[in-house]
Amino acid sequence: MGDFVVWVVWVVAAFACLGSGAAVISFTNPFFSALALIGNLGALAVLFLLLSAEFVAAAQVLVYAGAVMVMFLFVIAYLGRRADAPWKGGPSWPALGATAAAGALLVEIVVVVGQTASGRLSDEADISRAFGDPVGIGRLFLTDHLLAFEITSIVLLAAAVGGVVLGSDVKRREELEA
Amino acid sequence: MNEPWWIDVIKAAVIVNLLLGLFAYATLLERKLIGRMQLRYGPNRTGPFGLLQPIADLVKLIRKEHFAPATAVDALYISAPAVSAATALAAFAVIPFGEGWHVGGYDISGQIVDVPISLLLIFALGSLGIYGFIVGGWASDSKYSLLGAMRTCAQLVSYEVALAISVLGVIIMAGSLSLTEIVEQQSQSVWYAIPQVIGLAVFFIAGIAETNRPPFDLPEAETELVAGYQTEYSGMRFGLFSMAEYINMIVLSSLAVTLFFGGWLGPWAPLGPLWFFLKLLAFICVFIWLRATLPRLRYDQLMDFGWKVLLPVATINALVTAALVIAL
Repeated sequence: MGDFVVWVVWVVAAFACLGSGAAVISFTNPFFSALALIGNLGALAVLFLLLSAEFVAAAQVLVYAGAVMVMFLFVIAYLGRRADAPWKGGPSWPALGATAAAGALLVEIVVVVGQTASGRLSDEADISRAFGDPVGIGRLFLTDHLLAFEITSIVLLAAAVGGVVLGSDVKRREELEA
Repeated sequence: MNEPWWIDVIKAAVIVNLLLGLFAYATLLERKLIGRMQLRYGPNRTGPFGLLQPIADLVKLIRKEHFAPATAVDALYISAPAVSAATALAAFAVIPFGEGWHVGGYDISGQIVDVPISLLLIFALGSLGIYGFIVGGWASDSKYSLLGAMRTCAQLVSYEVALAISVLGVIIMAGSLSLTEIVEQQSQSVWYAIPQVIGLAVFFIAGIAETNRPPFDLPEAETELVAGYQTEYSGMRFGLFSMAEYINMIVLSSLAVTLFFGGWLGPWAPLGPLWFFLKLLAFICVFIWLRATLPRLRYDQLMDFGWKVLLPVATINALVTAALVIAL
């Protein structure tokens, strides 16, 4: 029973992930693309939950699906024209061909992975109750992955400072020209 | 022993209905209290003391025509209020309102589901609830709605940061993200409202802004934006937005009670849920009191206050708490 529910949730989440991912790049209206990306991140969070990584799932929803995507929507809604339909016109022949080719590749990958790794994938990993909890992840961040963690924070800081500098430069030039 | 699934279902049904009832009567309480504060009576014609007013409102909203702009994006326009209301209701699932009971061989916990990261889950659901407001405002294809949605977006994102950092102090002191454990920690020491008084102040102010309540109700400032993101909504769709706002207020008050005022703990007598409810009611009354007292902020004041006052104060509070916890 439990296995069956997990299986159903996995299939639904995995296909939601693929479907929303395809929707992100196929919608012509950027607002709908952004909404599809939110759906994609949400489906990913469900997959994280199935891997008993509750903290990562919640952080994924909170940071990416929540805070980051709100910014995307904010900018798109500001720049966007009136509310158009998600699609304009039908798909072109090259687009259909590319989709069919990608589908064939997916089938190939599934078959090959299934043939070579089917034995190994059925082994259940032995995880403790503390697996994936905030304490364990925090410890990993501050020991094994300390360098990557700190470098990421510097990159983010540089991006924030860069944004402020670029923004203020535009403003100064506008003042000079006025 | 764990709870069987049917107890969870019963608990969820009871809690959702209690919450909806509380929402309905919070609207009445608000109108009554504000009426009294403004030397009026408030609604007093429907039933004794106007007690049937929420039911009359509900019947009115349900029977009203669902009017929508011709250019609205239907699917998004219709689903947006539902998203807001659903995420608001879902957030209450992890709030502990009692210590748990032992009935007929079953252990029944004091919340619908107990997850170890419940605090994070509430914030995650809150950040998803914002989409209802933004998408609804955008899909209405009206300039007032869009401006209201933009304001909601900017305000909620700004104050979410301060809100999340203000609870860091409590998390550090309790050493857990589980709300049940945070309450249990408070039963062994003092309520965190005393050592974390700065965190509480920031949490409460940022919380008012997160729920779009006056004096932070700029997203629906009626003097500037008609009604903000909900301008083009009528009937029960408007009702769902309004419900989301009140339920968010109730969830936030419950969170404040749980994090800073000992949740279900009382000064005497182990009455559990009753203490929780009384504290919750007190918080809701303060929300209403503020609405009757304070004028709305200007937009630049709002942004300045969020980023230049609340955020630094919350950060310093978290840093000092962390240093003290390590040092002592």
